[in-house]
Amino acid sequence: MSVLRALRRMILGETWTLPVGVAAVLGCGAVLRAVSGPEGWWHSAGGPVMVVLLLVLLAVSLRRGGR
Amino acid sequence: MAFVLTLAGSALAVALELLEALAIVLAVGASRRWRDAVVGAAGAVAACALLALLLGPLLVARVAVEPLRLVVGAALLLFGLEWLRKGILRLAGRRARSSSWREYTEERRALDREPAAATGPDWAARTVAFKGVLLEGVEVILIVTALAGPPANRLPALLGAGAAVVVTVAMGAILHRPLRHLPETELKLAVGIVLTSFGAFFAGEGLGVRWPLGDAALLAIVAVFGVAAWAMAAGLGRQDRRTAAEPAP
Repeated sequence: MSVLRALRRMILGETWTLPVGVAAVLGCGAVLRAVSGPEGWWHSAGGPVMVVLLLVLLAVSLRRGGR
Repeated sequence: MAFVLTLAGSALAVALELLEALAIVLAVGASRRWRDAVVGAAGAVAACALLALLLGPLLVARVAVEPLRLVVGAALLLFGLEWLRKGILRLAGRRARSSSWREYTEERRALDREPAAATGPDWAARTVAFKGVLLEGVEVILIVTALAGPPANRLPALLGAGAAVVVTVAMGAILHRPLRHLPETELKLAVGIVLTSFGAFFAGEGLGVRWPLGDAALLAIVAVFGVAAWAMAAGLGRQDRRTAAEPAP
């Protein structure tokens, strides 16, 4: 069991914030892509938006698991 | 540029994970018998090789290019952000710094406390070596498989990983102990930045993003995460110093 627990921690991390947050960021990207349309703004500006969302996620994970 | 970053990221990630596995194997060998350490480690290497043989072709053959980039990006983001989070906390002083030497000495102390088998195989020692190499090895396989997912990345990711395996194993065979003064915390933070940047890049492409400047955008992403990591570590450190300076109520 300790090996399985260690494997889970290795893949998903020590807190649930990061896996849930990564899923949320990617889900958010998929929704924005669909909303912006086939040649919409997402294709050219989606990258920086994703980077900003990931930085927010990193900051949140530090606040939640920092102590 | 993507070639060099993939090569460096793969080599560093594999080397740092193997250093931790090596520390455990060396501790088992030095405290018990070298034969048991090698047998335990070899069993774990065989299990990891099997995983690599299953995972690599399965991921590449069964998943179309755009979803593949999304899957690879998500995997790299999970690993990269976790390495980055731990690295920032270590730099800020909120976690102990990463040290294979410390793991080596702690493992030796733990093994010295337990009696060794006088004759025959020392299964306790073999299990410790097996578990240590298996856990670090699985992470190596997952990271390298994710990095090598997109076809253009395959060669540098495998080259970097191969070079890291050769150098780390040779170092262990020659020195018989981990390096004491390696800046592992800073190196792990750098790996976290590279893995997160690749993760953002590939996940973006998987979601239809056309990055400005093409592959060169990776450098900009690395710079953004690098500066952000440094600023977050500095911010946490400042916050802790302010809290420590406040008089107790």
